[in-house]
Amino acid sequence: MEIPYIVNARKDTGLINSKIAIWLFLASEVMLFAGFFSAYVYLRMGADYPWPERTLPVLPGLINTFILIASSVTVVFAWVALKLGNWRQFQIYMGITVACAAIFMVFKGIEYNVKFHHQAARLHDYTVVEGHLGYQKDDKEEYVLDRNGKKIEENRIRVVAEKLTFSVKRFHAPWVNEMLSEAEHAKSSIRLIADIKAIISEGGEEETIAKAGEVLSIELLEKIKQVQLDALAHNSALRTDALRMEWKEAKLANPSKRGWQLSSDVNIDMAALSPRLLTEISTVEFTVDPPTRLLFKPRDIKEGAASSTLRDATVITGAMEASPMVFHNLDAIDFQWLVMKAKEKGISPESAIANSWLMKNSKFVREAWTWHIARNENRQAQLTKGYGLKEDGKTPKRTLTHKELYRLGWKDLGEMGVEMQQVKIGGLDKIKEEFMGPNYKARGDKTFPHLSVPREEIRHAAKFTPAWNTYYAIYFTITGLHGLHVVGGALVLLYYLVLGRKMFLSNPEWFANRVEVGGLFWHFVDLVWIFAFPIFYLM
Amino acid sequence: MADSIEAIQKAKKTYLLVFGALLVGTVLTVLVATVPALDVGGHGFDIYDAILGLVIATTKSTLVAAIFMHLNHEKKLIYWVFFGAIFFFFTMGALFALSESSPIYDTFFYK
Repeated sequence: MEIPYIVNARKDTGLINSKIAIWLFLASEVMLFAGFFSAYVYLRMGADYPWPERTLPVLPGLINTFILIASSVTVVFAWVALKLGNWRQFQIYMGITVACAAIFMVFKGIEYNVKFHHQAARLHDYTVVEGHLGYQKDDKEEYVLDRNGKKIEENRIRVVAEKLTFSVKRFHAPWVNEMLSEAEHAKSSIRLIADIKAIISEGGEEETIAKAGEVLSIELLEKIKQVQLDALAHNSALRTDALRMEWKEAKLANPSKRGWQLSSDVNIDMAALSPRLLTEISTVEFTVDPPTRLLFKPRDIKEGAASSTLRDATVITGAMEASPMVFHNLDAIDFQWLVMKAKEKGISPESAIANSWLMKNSKFVREAWTWHIARNENRQAQLTKGYGLKEDGKTPKRTLTHKELYRLGWKDLGEMGVEMQQVKIGGLDKIKEEFMGPNYKARGDKTFPHLSVPREEIRHAAKFTPAWNTYYAIYFTITGLHGLHVVGGALVLLYYLVLGRKMFLSNPEWFANRVEVGGLFWHFVDLVWIFAFPIFYLM
Repeated sequence: MADSIEAIQKAKKTYLLVFGALLVGTVLTVLVATVPALDVGGHGFDIYDAILGLVIATTKSTLVAAIFMHLNHEKKLIYWVFFGAIFFFFTMGALFALSESSPIYDTFFYK
């Protein structure tokens, strides 16, 4: 089939069809990103927490901007080469464009990876601490390994389970296997507490489904689950039929009344129905003997002092052990939110900070804060010296920002390390920091110390992912979507580069038009980044 | 669009000039955001920095759209499509903004 108007323009539009098509597509793309950028503006305006301003590493973002701009030029040069009939030049320019796309994605990958491994926690008093979690070590400073030989991260909820109550319908098999495995490792057994008896057929006698003392297994839970599902299906059918009959009778008795007028009179006679019902078993209880420590990821469990509940509704009865969140390297202390809340209540920032859990419990934080206050006084003095005072002769024209006043980021801690501990690092390590964040290895524990936060002090904790706050949610949404566009665009350009030779030889004008259309998409990808870079990295 | 060999050769110079302008614009964006001496408005990030950053970004994107995407000499239909999208871009933002002044927007429920 011959595709019309791919080389010569239509008379009515004066354009080739593919060009109109790509512009219509780009218009829809403008709308798509418009929606997300609008979302960004409104999330930022409506944020009820200090928005993380200028928090992303600028250098990789800047390099990525250069890379995308360069690729925009090379893609247009590739098209020019085709117009001039120079295949070799086209290959070079298009090759550079695709390479630029790959480098862009590598930098983005590094940036994302750093975020996915960076932990943050908000305490109940709204202090935020950030850093890097490590792995559990024993008394001999050796890593504690789980039964699979993997290191156990210092962010697990530990519960000494005495009794497990599973939801028959909702139990999550992999977690049950995990518990069985842990119990086996600890030479403990998990057994059914009491007989499970049920009527499994209408009018039948009660039968024993499982006996007390039976060992927990997925098969056993599945067997009970099947009994439960059968009972639910049978009973709900009975109830529905009974209800339908009641409605029918009520309607016959009162033909003039509307449905809603009858509703109060329609009730199922449960006494009559109950002999026909099957036994529903919603939960089953198992004892753990001897009681065993089980480890859970915080996102999977709602912990309590004496009993905890998993996301699959399994209730674990037993004491929660101390399960602190251990930052092997603390790299930011942030009182911005705490101060915001304190001001709302009319409490002075100084008093709120002095009474925070962190200041009361960490010597390092107290020292760091003292250093920070002294430095801020110097910084304010410099600002006043540089920009002077307002007309009243007292108020400085420029003052430190909320962030500068109440947040000690990793760069600040690094600066403190240099001043107080003379911890200096080499140029290469410094450059590495600009891409990968704080260099714990080079700067050491004196700059980024250990901090253990009791679980009960933590209000919310997450890696730097959309789960942490709306800033990261919209950051990952927009940059992730943009990244997908980069990959998609690069694949199309790569296709032209690798498989375009034949078309170039047979119909060079058509091929040049296709490259132009692909190039238009690529420029759009560049356009989005031109806005995304300052908005996310510099504002 | 530049279709003759001469016109295309000439356009290459323009592309390089735009490339240079985009690089300068990018460096400028970073400098005004990070160098205190170039900080407009008050100290630190504020509305003036946002406006300046967006003005630079808009200038850069105009260059890309006009020169690299050839919007400086396109057919009428493309302008309708492109500027139609831009119109709806701002309309969408305006709709959000207007929602706050709507008579049915009751702060009792939302704040």
